[in-house]
Amino acid sequence: MLHISLAAERLWTVWGLGISNSLLTAWVVMGLLIVLSILATRKLTMVPSTGQLIAETLVGGLHDFFGAIAGKRLDQFFPLIASLFIFILAANWVGLLPGVGTVGYFRSEEAEVTAEHAAPASGTEAVIPVEEDSHAPEAGVVAEETVASPAAAATEEEGGHGKTAFVPILRGATADLNMTLALAIVAVIAMQYFGFRNLGTHYLSRFVNFKDPILFSVGILELVSDVSKIVSFAFRLFGNIFAGEVLLAVIAFLMPFFLPLPFMMLELFVGVIQALVFSMLTTAFLNVAVSHGEEEHAAAESHASA
Amino acid sequence: MEKLGIEPSLLLAQVVNFLVIMVVLQKLLYKPILTMLEKRKREIAEGLNLTQKMREEEERLKEKQEKALAKAREDALQIIEDAKKQAKETEKEVIADAHTQAAAIIDRAKTEADETKKAATSAIRREAVDLAVVMAKRLLTSVMGAKEQHALISKRIKDLESWVAREEKKS
Repeated sequence: MLHISLAAERLWTVWGLGISNSLLTAWVVMGLLIVLSILATRKLTMVPSTGQLIAETLVGGLHDFFGAIAGKRLDQFFPLIASLFIFILAANWVGLLPGVGTVGYFRSEEAEVTAEHAAPASGTEAVIPVEEDSHAPEAGVVAEETVASPAAAATEEEGGHGKTAFVPILRGATADLNMTLALAIVAVIAMQYFGFRNLGTHYLSRFVNFKDPILFSVGILELVSDVSKIVSFAFRLFGNIFAGEVLLAVIAFLMPFFLPLPFMMLELFVGVIQALVFSMLTTAFLNVAVSHGEEEHAAAESHASA
Repeated sequence: MEKLGIEPSLLLAQVVNFLVIMVVLQKLLYKPILTMLEKRKREIAEGLNLTQKMREEEERLKEKQEKALAKAREDALQIIEDAKKQAKETEKEVIADAHTQAAAIIDRAKTEADETKKAATSAIRREAVDLAVVMAKRLLTSVMGAKEQHALISKRIKDLESWVAREEKKS
């Protein structure tokens, strides 16, 4: 069954919180990042070890790179934008690992519906038959361990219990709108936070300005554009990564050997580009937010001094 | 929203996830690494500064050393020159000294020789006089009486004395 689902699937429900497979992947990515950074910075020395050197290259490179955009306010922004870059990059690449999106189990849709009271995903799933052997050597092992094996699922289907759906254990964290939307919301709220922190109440005049009708309408436009930033951030990242996963799945379905490799390379590249785009746009927007009305200020000050 | 799979609880969970990873990475990765990079930057700058200073110091010392060396060479030449001059002077002095000493020794030897000669001459003379007196006595005793003897002897003594005086005057 070629399995393409726009929404992430719910695996379990713990204390009323549905654990989706992409949330699980996000935790895996977090764990990976934490372990790697502990390993890299465990023993910092003047003459760096290889691990330390890699971490220094990454962090120092990001510091220089974003420094070119953010300028003197880099120290404020750096934790946010560097984390955005590193986390998105790691999530994108973990989504490409063999087994992510391909190791899972089958369950009947009715069971899924009963498990999820809201049932957000049921209507959108496209289920196409496919042999899941392209880039998941451990798929068989996991399938045996899971509750419902393909054979059982097939008999279930024959028995008339309705359709069965394939549920991957792991799904690329950024191939889920919840993740990308969350990142976008954090980024846009950070813009407002840094705007207020640097400019105080003067920052409000970016959105609400009664000085003259032009500035008033510009304020409304700014408000709309900040809301639309959330949407564009979320859908740009989600669209790129989700499309990449679909592309890989389709290519693997058509020709499981060798042909997916160039596309894999392409998706690795897209992963870097999207992480870079997300963090660079955030930096640029942060800069815009904190420098709102800087020219006015400068003009007023020069008037006052003259 | 449902078709896109957006769930408020999951959204919130992902927001929390990101905030957690941001704080953790700041504590675990950015802060130590950036501090270390800054520290290394400072250290390198310090090292380069120190190297520059050392190089300048070295050049200064080398110059000083060369100057000292040149001065030492000059001094040595001067000292040698002085020593030569002094040696020449000393040589002259010694030679002059030797000359005077030699003259003195010769003088002394001469006077000593003179004295010895004089003493010998007077001794011989005295002996000759004594001998003459004895001979005359013996002769006169056999030939003359006491009176003539006496007159002759005193005449002879007078002659002798005048001879002696003459001889002494001669010498």
